[in-house]
Amino acid sequence: MNRPVPPGDNPTADPMALFIERAEQVGMSVITVGTYDEAVERAVALCRERRVQRAALWDTPEMDPIRDRLLAEGVEVLDPRGSFETLAGAEIGITRAEWGVAETGSLVISTGPGKPQAASLLAPLHLAVLRSDRIVPELATLLERSDPLPSALVLITGPSRSADIGLVPVLGAHGPMEVAVLVVMASQGR
Amino acid sequence: MKPVALFVTCLVDQLYPRVGEATVRVLERAGCAVAFPAEQTCCGQAAFNNGFQEEARVLGRRFLDVFADAPAIVAPSGSCADMVREWYPHLFRDEPALGVLARSVASRTYELSEYLVRVLGVDDLGARFPATVTYHPSCHGLRGLGLREEPLGLLRAVRDLRLVELPDAGQCCGFGGFFSIKFAALSGAMLSVKLDNIEASGAEVVTATDVSCLMHISGGLSRRGSRVRALHLAEILAGS
Amino acid sequence: MTNRPPRIDLIRNVERALRDASLQRQMGKAMPASRKARADVVAELPEWESLRSTAAGIKDHVLANLESYLRQLESQVSALGGTVHWASGAAEARAIITDLARSRGVRRIVKSKSMTTEEISLNAALEAAGARVVETDLGEYVVQLAGERPSHLIAPVIHKPTEEIADLFVRKLGVPRYERPEELARVAREVLRAEFLAAEMGITGVNFAIAESGTLVIVENEGNARLTTARPRIHVAVMGIEKVLPRMADLSVFLRILARSGTGQRASVYVSLLTGPRRAGETDGPEELHLVILDNGRRRLLADPGLRTALRCIRCGACQNECPVYRHAGGHAYGSVYAGPIGAVLTPAYEGMERARDLPFASTLCRACADVCPVKIDLPGMLVELRARAVRTGLAPWRDRMLVGAWTFFMRSPARFMLAGDLGRLAQRLVARGGKIERLPYPLSGWTAHRAAPALASTPFRAWWKSRQGGPR
Repeated sequence: MNRPVPPGDNPTADPMALFIERAEQVGMSVITVGTYDEAVERAVALCRERRVQRAALWDTPEMDPIRDRLLAEGVEVLDPRGSFETLAGAEIGITRAEWGVAETGSLVISTGPGKPQAASLLAPLHLAVLRSDRIVPELATLLERSDPLPSALVLITGPSRSADIGLVPVLGAHGPMEVAVLVVMASQGR
Repeated sequence: MKPVALFVTCLVDQLYPRVGEATVRVLERAGCAVAFPAEQTCCGQAAFNNGFQEEARVLGRRFLDVFADAPAIVAPSGSCADMVREWYPHLFRDEPALGVLARSVASRTYELSEYLVRVLGVDDLGARFPATVTYHPSCHGLRGLGLREEPLGLLRAVRDLRLVELPDAGQCCGFGGFFSIKFAALSGAMLSVKLDNIEASGAEVVTATDVSCLMHISGGLSRRGSRVRALHLAEILAGS
Repeated sequence: MTNRPPRIDLIRNVERALRDASLQRQMGKAMPASRKARADVVAELPEWESLRSTAAGIKDHVLANLESYLRQLESQVSALGGTVHWASGAAEARAIITDLARSRGVRRIVKSKSMTTEEISLNAALEAAGARVVETDLGEYVVQLAGERPSHLIAPVIHKPTEEIADLFVRKLGVPRYERPEELARVAREVLRAEFLAAEMGITGVNFAIAESGTLVIVENEGNARLTTARPRIHVAVMGIEKVLPRMADLSVFLRILARSGTGQRASVYVSLLTGPRRAGETDGPEELHLVILDNGRRRLLADPGLRTALRCIRCGACQNECPVYRHAGGHAYGSVYAGPIGAVLTPAYEGMERARDLPFASTLCRACADVCPVKIDLPGMLVELRARAVRTGLAPWRDRMLVGAWTFFMRSPARFMLAGDLGRLAQRLVARGGKIERLPYPLSGWTAHRAAPALASTPFRAWWKSRQGGPR
């Protein structure tokens, strides 16, 4: 079957710089750190700053140091396998982002056991940890890979928004009001 | 001298003959020998756009007959030129001989400004028109024929003419042939937006390539008691 | 078959819309802003025209191989543990979904925005079956509270100013009167959170369905579709047959053109790629996934060479945003689910020309819609075709026949043409003043209701030409 081939984007020389620019344009805050240890520090600092009492973290290896530090600070770290109702009580959800897409400033969030959608959906603040070498110039690159698909893969480009009421843009219509991205430089990352 | 057959169009003939006169002067100034085949009437667009394709074919056959041998057919109307170019081949696609003729005639039919600029390569006719002018791009010319720069280039070459931009220029004026009567209030509302934009431009004169739009616009300007005049592009280029 | 609803009285609807100052104000603000947003974000992509052609090509390829891709989709979804249901028409689709709700003991349903579910009038059927259905898209929620229909493909409540929404919330939710959109949105968020947590079934539309993987793609900005598909134990996705795409790799073109065309964004906030129900060990996602694949007149449209390209439509709403008729008429005037230029084609196609005969005529054929359609649907060409069909099947009004008949009669020869002119010049002596006529009789009175008419010139062009031939330049 003869199928037309989508034209490629102009491959950007610096996907990370473009990603940061575009992610910020859609209202996400992006913090770049050199090592994973710094990322952990920043995540904990953010929770402290926001007086987080309950946090929803994915149950994945890179979350362990963050969980341990938060528990040490007296934050209740909710079981990611817990109920929606419970997870809805979190002030922050912390997840990994599988990929970043530079063209649109998007995060790609996968799901799986211990990695619920709820963590990037329910709390008013979503923090995503993204390795710098997982930033690609365009979505087409990812869609052409034949990675097995999870039950839900979500492309996130900014905080939840709506302009339905009076044409005035409002954040946090249903999903998070704020999205922050911790970009960890690849050489020292996990 | 380039021989050109003028398709003056029914509206110009009966309502705005000065536009026809100006068109002739402009073409002659550009080095054309203008013929006017007197058997011509109407391109049939009004019938066609209203769904009456048989009636349009009747008028189309006459047009093709009248202009069959014309080397170039020039009309002071983007919508009529578009009708011939875009729709005659479609209207006669099931008739072998007329289909061929329709495609042939279509390929030789032009709106005035596109003929001057794209075919003759002329954009300065030595005209003078001291006024502030804004240009309304008639839809069929703009999106049907792709007329963008041609009329503007011609206007910029006119001495003492100050060209000002029309806000939201590409929005339809609301004429649309019988639409203006079938959906009169809607047509009036679209006209009102266009008139507001014309007034906002600060122009003394609004011009276009089609008297259909201009008839509708000037009718509205008149009701508003506006001092803005509506003139066809040919009238400005003829320096009148 | 079904009892035929009455003819859509478009002219009256439009006149009513024109008298609605609030609607005119809202549309006058919203449409130019939407157009500008689209133009700006499209200007960023030098390859835009190429993307349009590619997208149109993929859609045409799908339409030419539709049954095979649908079968592939079905097989993939089934292999993932989902259930595929085929609905030939609206009634069958309603029955499938209400039976499902009944058999699973569903009493509370949340829905995210879906024009397809509007098309089949699903909510009323579910309510009749004893389930409570709550629309969760902010605009759709407001529309539901108000008991109205959405008026725009993308912005359902574009016709309602904030003050009216504030009053509505007071009346229907018993909350204090909030003035600001953020406050109203906050109220809705809380109310709807509770609904998501309580619902047993979530119903969504489908923007694209990928045949090769069985993936359903849902595009949104608010997050309510994610909640609708993550929390309730049953997910029912309703899609028209034309929504299928061959491969994941084809999706990127469409995601690039959809948000840019519809809302002037580079990307919508959330794109959910859902591949099967929840898997072992997962704690969100539906336990049961049902995909309802709807025909409802689409295969008939597919078999219609003059109109089939309308099935390329990705429901972006760009044609509505560009259309000056839509800007003044608003969505409700079109009397059906789909409004604006695409509505003027789909409503006659799906509901019949008898009912929708005026819709194709409500256009000046300005072509603004065709210019912006990301999948290059020749909407003006289809309007012309539908008008011709209306005339051929005897649906043209008597006045049109009279006007066009008279026009054609007098245009058939120069002699008749001149005669018409002479008669007109005679008749206008009584009414022409300063080259203008302020009142024309029926059937042309509509003209002078809104603008002056030009008087016929005393010397038509051809008379001038003839006299000029006597003394050439």
